[in-house]
Amino acid sequence: MKALMIGIAATAAAMVPGTALAQAAGDTSTGQVIVNGNVARLCILGAPSRATVDLGQMAATSGTRVGRIAVLGDQSVTLPNSFCNFAGSALTVQVTALVSADASPVQPGFAKAVNYTATASNWALSPTAATSAASASGATPTATSTGVTQPAPKIADVNVTLSGFTAPSDALLTAGIYSGLVVVTLGPAVGGGS
Amino acid sequence: MTHSLILAAGAFVALTAGSAAAQSATDTKSFAVVGNVPALCSGGTIVGTGSTFDLGVLIDTTTGLLRTDLAAPPKVLTGSFCSSRSTITVNATPMAAQNFTAAPPAGFSRTVDYTATASGWTATAATFATGAGSNPGAIQTRPTAFSGDINVSIGTFATNGGSGLRLVSDTSYLGLVTVTLAVAN
Repeated sequence: MKALMIGIAATAAAMVPGTALAQAAGDTSTGQVIVNGNVARLCILGAPSRATVDLGQMAATSGTRVGRIAVLGDQSVTLPNSFCNFAGSALTVQVTALVSADASPVQPGFAKAVNYTATASNWALSPTAATSAASASGATPTATSTGVTQPAPKIADVNVTLSGFTAPSDALLTAGIYSGLVVVTLGPAVGGGS
Repeated sequence: MTHSLILAAGAFVALTAGSAAAQSATDTKSFAVVGNVPALCSGGTIVGTGSTFDLGVLIDTTTGLLRTDLAAPPKVLTGSFCSSRSTITVNATPMAAQNFTAAPPAGFSRTVDYTATASGWTATAATFATGAGSNPGAIQTRPTAFSGDINVSIGTFATNGGSGLRLVSDTSYLGLVTVTLAVAN
């Protein structure tokens, strides 16, 4: 027991000198060691349930809206088991419109962009939504929105819904392959992380 | 025992430090959104008074020869579009007597040739002459998507067989003009 005490005191002397000096001589001696550690602030988003959301063919091919954007249903993507281990986190959603890879100038009456809204929910009290507002030529395709603060550590499935697919001015869509991007970021709320 | 505990705690700290270095307070995930729009062409609809060029009486009633002042207002195809590079093709069949189908007697003809033109889509209008052996100008290419009106007109009327032939009498001479928009590869 005594030999053991020496070992501990040597290890902990620098950390708890007050404690070591306060011990009195006798047949029983007590030593205390403080074990320190820390946990860094950490947010992890689960891997998206769909790496690519393929909307397929987006233009109506018959009827009164032939050539214009068809009715495209909502799309859902889940980021399972996402968490932040601290209070004061927030979701940020960055949405980039679907834009045709065709580099040629867009013709009058046509558009080569499809705008939509990405809404991330199940994190804070209200969802975080960003809506792209690309022009017919595909300029300014990106929009960003940061949601309200989640006041407690949380683990949850973050649900992202893509909805409201529209073409600028409801113009005819130029033929081609279109691609966009949704970026979800989970991190400390501005001024709210603790 | 206590010593062992200290060692274990040390190991835990080292492990935590390693994890913290690989992650941060912020995480980002992204996913692509893709779609496509097929190349489409739509011919639109004909504006105005139906889809017939009505030329009325074809002959000069004093001579029996084809009138030289035949004319008809152009037809407008509105709402036409192609969402990609396209071709416009015009095709036409001669106006032929619908009831007098036998071979016409000497000095007569039962067919009137003309030229059909589709303009407004391409820089050079597409034209088709029914009396020509070939019509290389009947198909024209537009390199970009386009939405706009197409004007279809007919003109340059001529009696098939020669201007000295007279047209056989018939209540109906009929021809057909066809305009086709197509996606170009």
